[in-house]
Amino acid sequence: MKILTIIPAFNEEETLRGVILGIRTFLAHADILVVNDGSTDKTANIAREEGVFVLEHPYNMGIGATMQTGFLYALRSGYDIAIQVDGDGQHNPESLPSLIKPLLIGQADLVIGSRYLSDGGFKSTLPRKLGIKFFTWLVWIFTGKRVTDPTSGFRAIGRKGLELFSEEYPPDYPEVEALISASRKGLLFLEIPTTMRGRQGGSSSIGILSALYYMVKVTLSISIGSFRGIK
Amino acid sequence: MSIRLNLAAVIGSAVLLLIILELVRRKYLRERYALIWIVTGGLFLLLSIRVQLLLRISSFLGFSVASNALFFFGILFLLLIVLGVSVITSRLAEKNKTLTQEVVLLKKRIEDLENYGRQR
Repeated sequence: MKILTIIPAFNEEETLRGVILGIRTFLAHADILVVNDGSTDKTANIAREEGVFVLEHPYNMGIGATMQTGFLYALRSGYDIAIQVDGDGQHNPESLPSLIKPLLIGQADLVIGSRYLSDGGFKSTLPRKLGIKFFTWLVWIFTGKRVTDPTSGFRAIGRKGLELFSEEYPPDYPEVEALISASRKGLLFLEIPTTMRGRQGGSSSIGILSALYYMVKVTLSISIGSFRGIK
Repeated sequence: MSIRLNLAAVIGSAVLLLIILELVRRKYLRERYALIWIVTGGLFLLLSIRVQLLLRISSFLGFSVASNALFFFGILFLLLIVLGVSVITSRLAEKNKTLTQEVVLLKKRIEDLENYGRQR
């Protein structure tokens, strides 16, 4: 099984080294790919110094396009599993083995690392909790499945997911929509408990207004998308 | 409508039509997107030459003043054009994304091949 860890990175010079080290420690046999999404800091240099694979967007294209570039690379290079680990260091690399286990034993096609499955003590703000509740509800409406942490970007996908997401992946705020399109394609998903640290550096990409936009955009996109035929 | 105003309208629409045709001639505007503009320009010209036509259409539809009909259809038309432009932009954005991703992957492949060549 060829495994690729994809780190989408936009200005993550403070945390990238730590993330790479974490992956090397807890999932030594996986290859690491940094997709640099037009960073203006030393992100790309650090990735090259660390000797991981590097893909560079010539300009900032957003998280969705960044992940899709990674998925395309994984698919064409013959990987069986791709894992997303954010470059800001909030995803706990200790969970990597349990994240891919359901894929290895054929129990699921997409695995999500959830902050809320056990009380990992993730301190969250009320608006964020409400937002996530809303998305949980939305996913339940459209797929009939309960996902406790639908916006989590800490995920692993197998071959089926790679094929689907390289073909089509939402350009912005992709996490929730991706779950629904995966479910429509008959992919099985599963959550495993993990802990997430607060950001190790940089700043969250989501403010109040963009949080609202996030919810409206995803809802609209999913609702209209449900009228699309399945290819 | 005064004869002066009418003349201005005719000249105005004729100039618009000429500008559109010139843009197509210089290839600043693709024929595909020019078609709707040529039709628009032609319609403007027709309506300013035959004002009676506008009056008849507006009274048939029940507008109390002919200019209201003109504004109504003008705004409706602009809305449709802008919507069309949004559609074109979305399609371009998608194509642009795909193209960029292909370039990124190709660059990586070239790097790999160069490194492989150097090692041999």
